[in-house]
Amino acid sequence: MPVTFTFGEMLSARSVIGSTLAELGEDDPSLWVLTPDIGATLVEFRERFPERFVDVGLAEQACVGIAAGLAYDGNIPVVSGMLPFLSMRALEQIRTDVCYPNLPVKIIGTHGGLVGNGGSTHYAVEDLALMSALTNMTVTSIGDPLMVGEIIRQSMTMPGPIYIRLAVGKKDMVLYEPGQHDIRIGKGIVAREGTDVTLFTHGTTVAQALEAADVLAEDGRSVRVVDMFTLKPIDVELIVRSAEETGGRFVVLEDHLAYGGLASRIADVVADRGVRLAFFERLGIPQVYAGFGEDEQLRDKHGYGLAATTAALRRAVAA
Amino acid sequence: MASDPVSPPRTRHSVEELEDLAFELREKLLLLCGTYEGAVHIGGDLSAADIFTVLFEYGLHVDPTDLRNPARDRFVLSKGHAAVCMYIAMAIRGFFSYDEIVATYGQLDSAYGMHPCKVQLPGVEASTGSLGHGLPLAVGMALSARGRRESHRVVTLLGDGETGEGSVWEAAMAARSNKLGNLVAFVDRNRQLMTSFAEERVVFEPYPDKWRAFGWNVIHVDGHDMAELVAAVDALPDPDSDLPTVVICETVKGKGVDFMERSLAWHAGSLSPADLDRALAALAATRQRESV
Repeated sequence: MPVTFTFGEMLSARSVIGSTLAELGEDDPSLWVLTPDIGATLVEFRERFPERFVDVGLAEQACVGIAAGLAYDGNIPVVSGMLPFLSMRALEQIRTDVCYPNLPVKIIGTHGGLVGNGGSTHYAVEDLALMSALTNMTVTSIGDPLMVGEIIRQSMTMPGPIYIRLAVGKKDMVLYEPGQHDIRIGKGIVAREGTDVTLFTHGTTVAQALEAADVLAEDGRSVRVVDMFTLKPIDVELIVRSAEETGGRFVVLEDHLAYGGLASRIADVVADRGVRLAFFERLGIPQVYAGFGEDEQLRDKHGYGLAATTAALRRAVAA
Repeated sequence: MASDPVSPPRTRHSVEELEDLAFELREKLLLLCGTYEGAVHIGGDLSAADIFTVLFEYGLHVDPTDLRNPARDRFVLSKGHAAVCMYIAMAIRGFFSYDEIVATYGQLDSAYGMHPCKVQLPGVEASTGSLGHGLPLAVGMALSARGRRESHRVVTLLGDGETGEGSVWEAAMAARSNKLGNLVAFVDRNRQLMTSFAEERVVFEPYPDKWRAFGWNVIHVDGHDMAELVAAVDALPDPDSDLPTVVICETVKGKGVDFMERSLAWHAGSLSPADLDRALAALAATRQRESV
């Protein structure tokens, strides 16, 4: 092996992608996997189904366009790559070639949020805003590595496109026991029940949210943690119910721009449905190019780390 | 292909018949422009009219009565702004009703819009319009055919101007890398962009060499010489071969209507009744010259 990056510790979520696709490829001869040179975890699929594996090299636009062409012909293409490039360089192909004709192209990738220490070229921090704006697109952000397989499986029967966002954080911890939750695209997961405040989050910050809830529990406060892994369509019912059941106190935490991601989608629901809130605060990436640093350092620096989250929760329960 | 029993038939018109059909296409295009109040991309329609004719009336194995036949050739219009010319060419071939196109083109809720929409008009193979998208889509369809061991062709038509888009060359690399001999790109080399002439602000030459350098089989023809276009189709390599083919068609923007030819003013426009008369007379004159 050449130089081992710290990335190695994150292989678990990616290996779930690889093994799930290889398994699904066995059952479904219409499943194709495409990548712009990010194929390391797709080896099993490539070796078992070489005629349905396409590595176009560094060519995200063509990669998504080719996937759309395959889908026009009745196939189910999965595009796997790095999200800062797929979501922006190939944005027009995703919008016009995939979403416009509503084709079942599945886009799955890593580097959602300030993760991986690649600098702002390599952080996807606007991606959920961009993808959520696209008609016909389903948008997800997954924290639990084992959930990835379940979401890919469910997406196979969806008639349209889906965006599946992963981090590459070093804390790819397993959050849920298999079977613990009914995992369905479009439905949030109540990762922890609580009555004083609801902390909504998705993706890599679910683990941090649970940690913050533990801290508040030591204060004698009960925090509901909602893993809102589907940003679009958003689980309106769970938002409305959580307002009723946790005193109208909401905190939203995400590894994405604070405006344009989950917090904005929840705020839309609150406004559109006339949900009465006593407290609303959003924690996420401000309008900066975030610089270098480890994931946790960057979250702390930019105001959405563990300390900031517990502080926001304390403000909420005091409101 | 011809021996494939499930493949849709390919019509075997003579060159003269094809020339007649191309004339009919141009005439019907002008008549539509005379009735539609909005702008039509008439320059790039007229440059591509002979190519559309040779494709839908000679080159493509397609059947208007059997749109979903898996063995049909696929056609993707990458230069989506020539949609109306494609609609009419397909109407002449029997896919659509010309009268319906004329009656509804560009109107609210029409299936026939400025750029083709697969959702509105399922008879087309893909939604296109933004330039540089057709070749990647065609590569995907060609890969699909390979995956299913089908031996139909996937054909796309690009404008030369749109080959300024980087996505075209990404797809060109992918086509060569994946040995897609079942893929054919026609390029309408009319040497005009919207606001400038090719080579003036953007240098395309040595144009065929660019495609050769990407590993493609290159056929270079006069895109208004029906005999050359037919010969190009006849010379296409077997779909089961390894090299994608580009047919570079040297054309004239506005071809067939003298006052539109090589004119930046007629990239897109509409025709007043007087303009229509003048354009039809100009078109008729080309035919008289040919028959002399």
